[in-house]
Amino acid sequence: MPEISLKRCSRLALKAGSIILESGGATNRVELVMYKVCVGFGFDEVESFVTPTGIFLSIGDGDNELSTSIRRVEQRRIDLGKITELTRVVNCLYEDNCAACPPHMSRYEYFHQELQRIDTQKPYPTFVTNLCGAMTSGFFCLLFGGTALEFALAMVVGFLVSASLKYISLLPVNNFLLNAIAASIIVILSKSMQMGFESINLDTIIIGGIMILVPGLSITNAIRDTMSGDLVAGTARGVEALIITVGIVAGSGAMLKLWEILIG
Amino acid sequence: MNTPWDINTFWQFCFAFLAILGFSMRSNLRGWRVLLTGLGGGICRASYLILLHYTDSVLLSVFLAIILVCIYSEVVARLVKTPVSVFVICVIIPLVPGRTMYHAMRAYIGSETALASSLIFETLMIAGTISIAIAVVASGTNLVMRLKHRF
Repeated sequence: MPEISLKRCSRLALKAGSIILESGGATNRVELVMYKVCVGFGFDEVESFVTPTGIFLSIGDGDNELSTSIRRVEQRRIDLGKITELTRVVNCLYEDNCAACPPHMSRYEYFHQELQRIDTQKPYPTFVTNLCGAMTSGFFCLLFGGTALEFALAMVVGFLVSASLKYISLLPVNNFLLNAIAASIIVILSKSMQMGFESINLDTIIIGGIMILVPGLSITNAIRDTMSGDLVAGTARGVEALIITVGIVAGSGAMLKLWEILIG
Repeated sequence: MNTPWDINTFWQFCFAFLAILGFSMRSNLRGWRVLLTGLGGGICRASYLILLHYTDSVLLSVFLAIILVCIYSEVVARLVKTPVSVFVICVIIPLVPGRTMYHAMRAYIGSETALASSLIFETLMIAGTISIAIAVVASGTNLVMRLKHRF
């Protein structure tokens, strides 16, 4: 006899699945996590269908009860920390060796509390995130042959772009527009820096900035989803990668041309 | 006789290491795992340069370098009990053709159509090669895991 009701288990599995999907996990990872949650709580009959924008989950207890639910996933942002953390918790539930589970709590309570904790977990402070953006941008600038001065300027660009990405994503903009705006900010910043330092090479700085935006996550997930047989999710992510790339190119190209026309 | 095992490759390794360190921390990866993803990024860039020297073919070196780091991710991710895709996402970034894409765009807005189309083609070829390499390793791992469960 399972220790919790079918509905509760369904809710928990959906919650776990949607956290992974929102953090940018691959489709088969989401399916695997939901499967492990259900089996961990004693429901062996699990069917799921996951697309990048929603989850369908159907659990049965073997004789007469069947619960089917849908969860729509609106927001998606990269958060590899949540994926790692949640996978660890789910695995210890599945293998039934919760060393961290305190004896006075049931497994359901413990798991529920862990899910809440992971879901509301604070990312690194904004300043650290921006600094990491600066680091990425600066070292990619060096990687593509920048000088010390260009490195410093690329770090400033990376910092400011990371900071502005945070505020742009508060607006109701789609992925295309988000990346286009960010890319045009990169171009504006580096062009205005060129007014101050005449000798710098614009290309390395802009490339350093662009490398923050490249859709590595979408490419990887698209291929891995397609290879594991999730053709719908694979195609959708592939198109997402294409849209992001076109957004970056369109944003930076349009701004370069505009700057040329207006300021020279 | 110049060899690729010089200080330049080492510096490229360090830059890629630090860049990917920043990238993975920006994606909110926590703890000492960021060192492992950074190391993967460094290996990716360095092996690409070394292979480029010996094979003299961009696409082949991209292909082999990505295969190498994907195998690295599959092994290390299982050792530290982390989803494999977390690693793959970070380590392929140094070879993603951001630079070719940018130069293609520059040529395009500069009305140099022939140059632009050859650069766009190169971008697509590199991106495609990366995809194929990831696909090869992902399916190879599936096969290995299936066989392991069978026997």
